[in-house]
Amino acid sequence: MTPTVVKLIDTSLCIGCKACEVACQEWNDQEFTIGTFGGTYQTMPDLAPNFWNLIKFNERETDGGLSWLMSKYQCMHCGDPGCLRACPAPGAIVQARNGIVDFVSDNCIGCGYCITGCPFDVPRLSPETKKVYKCTLCSDRVAVGLEPACIKSCPTNCLSFGERTEMLRVAEKRASVLKTDGYAEAGVYNPPGVGGTNVLYVLKDVADPVSYGLPKDPTIPWSVVLWKGPIKWLGTLLLAGGVLGSFFHYLKFGPKHEEADDDEPV
Amino acid sequence: MNRYSFAERTVHWLSALSFLYAAFTGLAMWSHKLYWLAAVFGGGNATRFAHPWAGILFALVLGVMFRSWAGQMRLDREDREWLLNSHRYAMNQEEGLPDAGRFNAGQKMLFWFQSLAALALLATGVVLWFPEWMPRTLRLIAIALHPLAAIGAIALIILHVYMGIAVVPGAFKAMVHGTVTQGWARAHHPKWLKEKRLP
Ligand code: HEM
Ligand code: SF4
Ligand code: SF4
Repeated sequence: MTPTVVKLIDTSLCIGCKACEVACQEWNDQEFTIGTFGGTYQTMPDLAPNFWNLIKFNERETDGGLSWLMSKYQCMHCGDPGCLRACPAPGAIVQARNGIVDFVSDNCIGCGYCITGCPFDVPRLSPETKKVYKCTLCSDRVAVGLEPACIKSCPTNCLSFGERTEMLRVAEKRASVLKTDGYAEAGVYNPPGVGGTNVLYVLKDVADPVSYGLPKDPTIPWSVVLWKGPIKWLGTLLLAGGVLGSFFHYLKFGPKHEEADDDEPV
Repeated sequence: MNRYSFAERTVHWLSALSFLYAAFTGLAMWSHKLYWLAAVFGGGNATRFAHPWAGILFALVLGVMFRSWAGQMRLDREDREWLLNSHRYAMNQEEGLPDAGRFNAGQKMLFWFQSLAALALLATGVVLWFPEWMPRTLRLIAIALHPLAAIGAIALIILHVYMGIAVVPGAFKAMVHGTVTQGWARAHHPKWLKEKRLP
């Protein structure tokens, strides 16, 4: 069986050097578009169609000071991806057996449904190509046995990559080390609402992922569940019922009389 | 005798064609099982491009239709009685049903539902059209409501087309040529025939 691959991000070890951002741009051969300066240390305020990996400097005020909660913002490679559920074009989003969720531009029609389906607000629609883009977890590198570019470039071991059960074990161990270091709330971010994610975080405060820019208890959006569940059911029933119903109605009752007897002169 | 003017028929067929185009391209994106429809309309990207425009055309044409017909589509007491007994109409047992005017109560209901659906499809469709510019909450609502309204509208149109082509012989001809026979009018819209005969 193909093992599921995981990227582990130990946010406590991130020094904000942004080597991973550069490695991502380089490997994926993306031009860097100069954006707006948001008054922070971040490279960009947000992800972009040609910028898939953002180191966030989440600022948190402490008594008399400021601390940074570092986090790495990219596709989470969900176990149950909302983007995939929403996508109307077969083959535009694929979930590989190793867990990587990949966008296949050739099949993408640019409808943007995946943007709405994603609980992490990751896919970005390019106005030029009318296709969506996001982190591929370097599926092209992983396929030939290499680790993703960001992992390769990280100088502090904040990022590591490997087989899922092994990475979960490493993550738990890191969290317990943090706990003994005084971070009582340290833990692993692996939200079950989206079937777990193949990007795992070790957070100093796992009860408050929002401070890291991560949603608390993310799930596939309610309306996407409704849309791809009951509404689709109802629709199939109504459309098939309408066609079949008409057919059998005709068999049973047939047409109305074309004309009433025209006996009255005008 | 004349039933539909040239203008009325033009509006009707423009709405029909734009609706069918929007419906088939929309259905292609509604289910993977119907995605082959996208190939019929020039591929996925062409479908994504053309669908909203067909939808806009449909909404515009329906606006025109609304302006010209809304006055004649008001439901009166007889219409309500007709609706309560519409199962008899469905079973071709019209005796005892109130006489229909230019439009029977079923046609009037179709008119109001389609107008409402056009409005809902337009509002939610525009949200889906430009996901980058729309707030997330709006998109979440639109993504559930748009197909819901579409399915309702398509189901009614299946019924409408079936009746116009198969159940009421002469109705299709009326919408193409604009004319009906007096016998047809007496059979299906007797009150309208009487009104027409008044000077
Ligand atoms: C009134 C203007 C309309 C606009 C602006 C509009 C726009 C859209 C957009 C942007 C989408 C997303 C996919 C795409 O871009 O092609 C969509 C999907 C769809 N539309 Fe429309 N539309 C309109 C009217 C209609 C009409 C008249 C119908 C037919 C009954 C219809 C049926 C559908 C369906 C079935 C879908 C797929 C929904 C799904 O994926 O579940 N739309 N529409
Ligand atoms: S934009 Fe592309 S990948 Fe996203 S849902 Fe639409 S077809 Fe699928
Ligand atoms: S984070 Fe968003 S884009 Fe990535 S797999 Fe999950 S739902 Fe899809």
